[in-house]
Amino acid sequence: MSEYFSNIKTGATTIATGMAITLKHFFNAVKRKGDAGIDDADYFRQVDGLCTLQYPKEVIPTPPHGRYRLYVNIDDCIGCRQCERACPVECIAIETIKTTNDDLAVCGKTSGGQQKRMWVPLFDIDTAKCMTCGICQSVCPTDCLYHTAVADFSEFDVRNMMYHFGNLSKIEAEAKRKKLAEQQAQAAKEKAATGAPAAKPAPKAAPQQKPGGAE
Amino acid sequence: MSSSPSLNTWSDALSGFSIGWFPLGLVIVAVIPLVFIALYALTYGVYGERKISAFMQDRLGPMEVGFWGILQTLADILKLLQKEDIVPTAADKFLFVIGPGILFVGSFLAFAVLPFGPAFIGADLNVGLFYAVGIVAIEVVGILAAGWGSNNKWALYGAVRSVAQIVSYEIPASIALLCAAMMAGTLSMQQITVMQAGPNGFMHWFLFNNPIAWLPFLIYFISSLAETNRAPFDIPEAESELVAGYFTEYSGMKFAVIFLAEYGSMFMVSAIISIAFLGGWTSPLPNIGGLELNTMTSGPAWGAFWIIMKGFFFIFVQMWLRWTLPRLRVDQLMYLCWKVLTPFALISFVLTAVWEIYR
Amino acid sequence: MQELGKAESNSTRIIRQDDKRVIIEKDLDTEYMVLSMGPQHPSTHGVLRLECITDGEVVVEAEPYLGYLHRCFEKYCENVDYPGIVPYTDRMDYLAGMNSELAYCITVEKLLDIEIPRRVEFIRVIVSELNRIASHLVAIGTYGIDLGAFTPFLFCFRDREHIMNLLEWISGARMLYNYIWIGGLAYDVPADFKKRVAEFVTYFRPKAVELCKLLTENEIFVKRTYDIGIMPADVAINYGWSGPMLRGSGVKWDLRRNDPYSVYPELDFDVPVPDGKFSVVGDCLSRHLVRALEMEESLKIIEQCLDKMPEVQGFDSRALIPKKIRPKAGEVYGRAENPRGELGYYIVSDGKSTKPLRCKARSSCFVNLSAMKDLSKGQLIPDLVAIIGSIDIVLGEVDR
Repeated sequence: MSEYFSNIKTGATTIATGMAITLKHFFNAVKRKGDAGIDDADYFRQVDGLCTLQYPKEVIPTPPHGRYRLYVNIDDCIGCRQCERACPVECIAIETIKTTNDDLAVCGKTSGGQQKRMWVPLFDIDTAKCMTCGICQSVCPTDCLYHTAVADFSEFDVRNMMYHFGNLSKIEAEAKRKKLAEQQAQAAKEKAATGAPAAKPAPKAAPQQKPGGAE
Repeated sequence: MSSSPSLNTWSDALSGFSIGWFPLGLVIVAVIPLVFIALYALTYGVYGERKISAFMQDRLGPMEVGFWGILQTLADILKLLQKEDIVPTAADKFLFVIGPGILFVGSFLAFAVLPFGPAFIGADLNVGLFYAVGIVAIEVVGILAAGWGSNNKWALYGAVRSVAQIVSYEIPASIALLCAAMMAGTLSMQQITVMQAGPNGFMHWFLFNNPIAWLPFLIYFISSLAETNRAPFDIPEAESELVAGYFTEYSGMKFAVIFLAEYGSMFMVSAIISIAFLGGWTSPLPNIGGLELNTMTSGPAWGAFWIIMKGFFFIFVQMWLRWTLPRLRVDQLMYLCWKVLTPFALISFVLTAVWEIYR
Repeated sequence: MQELGKAESNSTRIIRQDDKRVIIEKDLDTEYMVLSMGPQHPSTHGVLRLECITDGEVVVEAEPYLGYLHRCFEKYCENVDYPGIVPYTDRMDYLAGMNSELAYCITVEKLLDIEIPRRVEFIRVIVSELNRIASHLVAIGTYGIDLGAFTPFLFCFRDREHIMNLLEWISGARMLYNYIWIGGLAYDVPADFKKRVAEFVTYFRPKAVELCKLLTENEIFVKRTYDIGIMPADVAINYGWSGPMLRGSGVKWDLRRNDPYSVYPELDFDVPVPDGKFSVVGDCLSRHLVRALEMEESLKIIEQCLDKMPEVQGFDSRALIPKKIRPKAGEVYGRAENPRGELGYYIVSDGKSTKPLRCKARSSCFVNLSAMKDLSKGQLIPDLVAIIGSIDIVLGEVDR
């Protein structure tokens, strides 16, 4: 019998405790936490009160090195394709064209001062596939491919999630390809003319994507 | 405040008023509660629940539609109106359709006997309290029809649980209300309220009139939670166990009707408890010497204000409980009903009777 | 309760068998009902499907069906190089990504046989303990929802949000971190990190007490979980249970103590085990209590790590390991204490490839869930929900 009454008593007291807590929160609802970012000094200052942020109007600030949308600074890309190979979900597609010697100056240097030897007509990132793991960023030798803190980049059409970063238009790329093929054909012809054993022809351009300093 | 029959004269005069053949007075009398119910269900009921729960959980709740989301319920209703009204192929169509109707009608029929003021009551039945208790039980039929008619296992579980629960909790609830009826000596809602009116405000209420009235008051409050399927007794619609309980299959306006019925019966039980124990439309403020607060805050408009405020207070407590407590299990629910509430209700019944005889 | 549970449906009885006719007496025409619970059900924590055979409210038998979230983790591992697997381990137990990464990384490091700098180890422990708290918060919060208490869930999520912000601050992502790398970390921690974590610890302690008052001490909650789904210690061991589940059954088994890794041997913390005072050892309440107490232990660990962490800013996260990870031929099994139990990786390397020949994940949730059929026998449907909640499965890890 005593257990019967003690049950009722603990039930009543614990329910009252719970109700006191919720009521306290109800009256704390006049305060709001605000949208202080984690790197703000007063992040943990406001302990009580509402913590909802009304998303499009108020956002949690993403930290400076937030790992969200990928960005390629194509001017620094040397076309080494390491990111393409490292990507676990294969969301990066790269096409490169070897630069002809007379174009080296046009192709330019990276911000680090390294001579670029590849045109990158196609550098497509399918951000819909990207899982923001950051592995591509870690393997990039020139740090030209990196995640930005832009977290909200949803699209209505999934095709818009394909980001194009290539530095040549289609026509330009075609011209460069033609130029390279011509030059290589020329070189092959010269080699054949000098009587050397048949030199490797043009299609071999693709595997030679490791310019100096990439490793 | 004198005896009761004269109180209804204002109402009688209004209902007798007509322009030519058109009974304008009757229409107004009928429209007032309908407008109130609609407004209540649309604004305070659903919107209030969402806001109160949000604030208790450190959230903001609806904010987008109107100022602080005040029109959110309206938007929801509009959305639900446009929804396709699906009747499952395997469902018992008749029961499926009639279920929400019975629920809705059942929960709003009791509004007829609720006195909304000294001069306003739909029907001042001499068995008003009995009628109110009885009509609540009709909801069981609606729930069972809805649950069985859905031909869904979850809905069936919900319906069966609900019937067991509501029928069981009728008993402590009725006994608790009997205590109030004993104190008043009448079953007429208006009479019960008038008994609690007086210059000393809340001092005349049954809750403070009788040293053990708090016991039936608490018992009725707990039972009313169970009768309206509110947490912690929301096992018929326990969303984590039975998906949505007896209204799992409902969509569109039928779903909205079930929802409105729930909020309707929430207000109804809150009104009944405030009439039975907290003096209905009487003002809580006492006359202190020359400061006649009670007299100043009495009258038809004030009466409506007070009963609605009291009802809202109890609705707030219901919501407060709901957003605090976990849900009971079926057998614990029955334990609470038969082994705790019913014995205590009987004890309070006897004690009240003794008090009434010897005071 | 238990009497109800044991009741077999005996409504039809064979009373007489004369010739070839069987005469069956029927008390009441009841029959078992098959109730498919899930995969779309609010309390199956994802896409678990339970096929329950029910007799009224009593579950006669419940059989879990898995595979709705199968993503071929193990096959995928055979096609991705070692660092590339790390983000996939995040996606297994997505509520405790750091712990999954830690388990995988210490396995590969065992295979490579490399030593990790102390600072890195401390950072790893801090982040994985933070993530353990976050994971337990979700477990406790969703357990509250399963039992009908909605508010504790949102309080839990409010506090978890702070942890997620902290982890986003150091790793750049909120849930799928890829922060712990083989041989190190993706980045060093930000300058103010220690201060902010210490602030979080002081912030969180009172909140945990409040949560305890609101949910764990609530009489209805206790009544709903007390003496429900009891798993004796020996059966639990035979099932291969681990983590809070096993400790809930009274076995003091914590890999951080029993098979120490990282810097855990240096740290002072208890392994909470129910003593049977507040709960029946092995019931749902015990498991819940273990989780609640473990959060406090994690806070203690974090505080100690913050004290002991060497103050050397800046390190090369890739200094220790070769550009291409190509372990010598061999096999290794590494394990770590996840919030849900022992998460182990078994990796076979052929010595030539940069990809593992085989990578098997031993998922704690999967093993814990295997006892579902035993636990659910004869329980009521509300208790079944309580049991699923107390197992605290993450379907991402169950199905992988």
